[in-house]
Amino acid sequence: MANILSQKDFASRVFYAALAAVVVFIIGCGKRPSQSPSQNVLQHRLQDKVKTLDPADIGDVFSDAVGSEFFELLYGYHYLKRPYEIVPVLAQDMPAISEDGLTYTIKIKKGVLFADDRCFKNGKGRELDAGDFVFAWKRLADIKTLSKNWWIFEDRIVGLDEFREYTKTCKKPQDVNYSCPVEGLYAADDQTLVIKLKRPWPQILFLLTYTPTAPIAKEAVDCYGKDIASHPVGTGAFMLKIWNRGSYIEAVRNPTYRGELYPSEGEPGDREAGLLVDAGKPMPFVDRIIWRIIPEDQPRWLMFERGDIDIIGIPKDNFGQAIASGRELTPKMKERNIKLITILEADTFYIGFNMEHPILGKNKPLRLAISCAFDRKKWIELFYNGRGEIAYGFIPPCMPGYDPNIKQYSKTEYNPEKARRLLAEAEQINGGPLPEFKLTMQGTDTTYHQMGQFLKMALDEIGLKVETEYLDFPTYLEKLRTKELQIYQCGWIADYPDAESFLQTFYSKRAPWPNDICYSNPEYDAVFEQAALMPDCPQRTELYRKAERIVVEDAPGAFLYHRMFYGMYHDWVCNLKINAYRPDGFGYGFSKYYRINVAKRDEYWKKYR
Amino acid sequence: MGAYIIRRLLYTIPIVFGVLLLTFILFTVVGGDISFEIAGKNASPETIKEIREEYGFNKPLFLAWDSQLVRHFKDALTFDFGRALDREPVIDKIKRGVGPSLSLTIPIFFGEVIISVSIALVIAFLRGRIWDILAVILCIAGMSIPYLSFILFGQYFLAYKLRLFPVFFSPDLSVPQYVALPVLIGIVTGLGGSVRFYRTVMLDEMRADYVRTAFAKGLDVKSVLFKHVLKNAMIPILTQVVLAIPFLFLGSLLLERFFGIPGVGYLMVEAIGSRDYFVINAMTYISAILFVIFNLITDVCYALVDPRITLD
Repeated sequence: MANILSQKDFASRVFYAALAAVVVFIIGCGKRPSQSPSQNVLQHRLQDKVKTLDPADIGDVFSDAVGSEFFELLYGYHYLKRPYEIVPVLAQDMPAISEDGLTYTIKIKKGVLFADDRCFKNGKGRELDAGDFVFAWKRLADIKTLSKNWWIFEDRIVGLDEFREYTKTCKKPQDVNYSCPVEGLYAADDQTLVIKLKRPWPQILFLLTYTPTAPIAKEAVDCYGKDIASHPVGTGAFMLKIWNRGSYIEAVRNPTYRGELYPSEGEPGDREAGLLVDAGKPMPFVDRIIWRIIPEDQPRWLMFERGDIDIIGIPKDNFGQAIASGRELTPKMKERNIKLITILEADTFYIGFNMEHPILGKNKPLRLAISCAFDRKKWIELFYNGRGEIAYGFIPPCMPGYDPNIKQYSKTEYNPEKARRLLAEAEQINGGPLPEFKLTMQGTDTTYHQMGQFLKMALDEIGLKVETEYLDFPTYLEKLRTKELQIYQCGWIADYPDAESFLQTFYSKRAPWPNDICYSNPEYDAVFEQAALMPDCPQRTELYRKAERIVVEDAPGAFLYHRMFYGMYHDWVCNLKINAYRPDGFGYGFSKYYRINVAKRDEYWKKYR
Repeated sequence: MGAYIIRRLLYTIPIVFGVLLLTFILFTVVGGDISFEIAGKNASPETIKEIREEYGFNKPLFLAWDSQLVRHFKDALTFDFGRALDREPVIDKIKRGVGPSLSLTIPIFFGEVIISVSIALVIAFLRGRIWDILAVILCIAGMSIPYLSFILFGQYFLAYKLRLFPVFFSPDLSVPQYVALPVLIGIVTGLGGSVRFYRTVMLDEMRADYVRTAFAKGLDVKSVLFKHVLKNAMIPILTQVVLAIPFLFLGSLLLERFFGIPGVGYLMVEAIGSRDYFVINAMTYISAILFVIFNLITDVCYALVDPRITLD
């Protein structure tokens, strides 16, 4: 009896003690986050970490996006005008181009300062000059830098390839003498950069808007050595304050930034949309930028709903919470004054065939049969909540050079009956039954498994045997490079608003990268080579279309879809204009254009945070 | 005991060498050339060649004084793990990640051990009663629900809906603020398995004759449970607890990723995803060493808590 009584007594004591402990824990540790008024800060999110902030080493979209806030370039895109127009940033004007299209003379703006940094004398940033571009581009060429971006200038500038050869003869990085002259790349004076090309290259202007071509101060490279990746010393509107790798990055306004003015003109409708309210005012408008790295969808979505993130691409699993059936925002989102942004992205995704494979490369009916097996509409609905358009060729509809008549030349169709007929024809060409092929997906998560199953089922239905293989992205890339893959997921996102960016992916001399399907057609190559030398003109557009039709006819890939971006932003973000090449709202140094209505955000935080 | 410790420390030498050899075979021989990962998508063959030279991948694998194996051993023994794919020194990454990871895993570890041992003691004492049955059912339920579900549920309801905790890491939050919810989730998810394990251990002791004798001679519940039962149950508890300590340094992969805690767990996930062998190699090596050390500590602790055990 005594034992039973003590059991009860003991149990109740323990229960109350545990309850008290939980209450103390929640009150003590789980204190609500501060409700203090927000500051003039732009809150970005990244889905992956930033790998480097050294322009020479930047090779991924997130590093490029963040780096673009610290480094400025010779040229950029007009923030408001469409179609996209290249405008000077660090250059005074558009380049003076010689009649033969081989010599570019570019005047550099005066009074542009590098951000203050301890690498400079007295910690004060010095004035930018043309030599900083020469130094930065020689760094790309220097083999000791192990730059990911030498491809930009490879075989383009007179003497630069020879400089690279010279760097190979140096034993150590310190042995490379950057004062060695390069015939086609020099500073005529402090404000004049001269570039001499081996052959006409009209796309150079697009590449000069690309972060890896940013000028670098030699002092920074000398001071930080291998750690230069963590010390972005540029001329941009912001400077790095904290970089907690894998977690967050904080940038603050660069006090010595020259204060570029917000554009005073845009396209029709911009004024009505409130995009010209700040016309002529000096930028940037925000004091700080925070990029939080949030790889998982749920926290990213919840952070946006709480107002801790300003702009977001709608995650797949939250699409129903954000978008109603009529493809507009749900009442909950409207009530919170959240704005919707949609734009067709400049990309094309397809199933590629290894054209060097002895069967796939030589059997066009087989490739066509595979193409006819896929129900693209269902694919877009299942995996992208309908956010996409069927691809009939490889040039996306939003790009200049797109062929509005491509559908009539295209082999894109869903027709299992026709696919079976083509497969029978393919077997005849093969001289017997086709072997089992390997279908490779470029990821290992659940979605990739579902996609793989979808494709396999489609091919099973027409009677083609495939084994599905799921690889992590680095392994996938390695196998692409060694041409081990057979049938595989491919895609290309435009680097710049010129269809040439897509055309190069089918040029035989660019195999196996970016021509990862190893497509080779002399007729196509001839058209590409001709078009690549031409400036933008109707004849070039015609050549682009001709090239696309050649590829479509050969069917080296089953073109699937172009993505449609669905994003949202809070109404306190002013001046946001969506860009098809950076639909997420960051990159190209966009942050300096954004203004935050702090009062609106504070009000939202009071209600929802 | 001193001789035993020295002998065990000497045993660790072949173990560490074995681990080093295994990591070398896994990451260098089986894993293949990672020059492509370092070089990026657009790399030219000459850049790849340069990378091989720079990182020593062009050297023979074995059987040479400057072979990759010798260098691997030398670097590991001097804790010089080189630079990760993003060119940051690996050791800096690990140093930076250990603090946040430990701030998450230590409270989880102590919380889970203290709570589960206490609950196990209580329910073992109340064996067969409704509290015991209820606790066992809850333990099984807790073990059956996927870890991720706890995270998603906790983040959505406790942080977002009830606003009791922050949803995600933010630099302006204090450490207790941003680890509170992950710690709570970590403790709750671990309780099911731990309570069941410790309950079994306690029950074995509770059924022993000395417990009956202790009650018979009139000792109160507190004295019996804490002075006798708990002390005698220390050997399995110690095994479980001390061997878990090395894993504290590895952080928590999922919790860190979902709550944005910049620890080594998150670092490891990223390294695996991007095939950053430099980081994976370093982490594997450090974990192995910690495991060996804490194994030794466990043995020493056995002798300390149970006088019947002699190490010599």
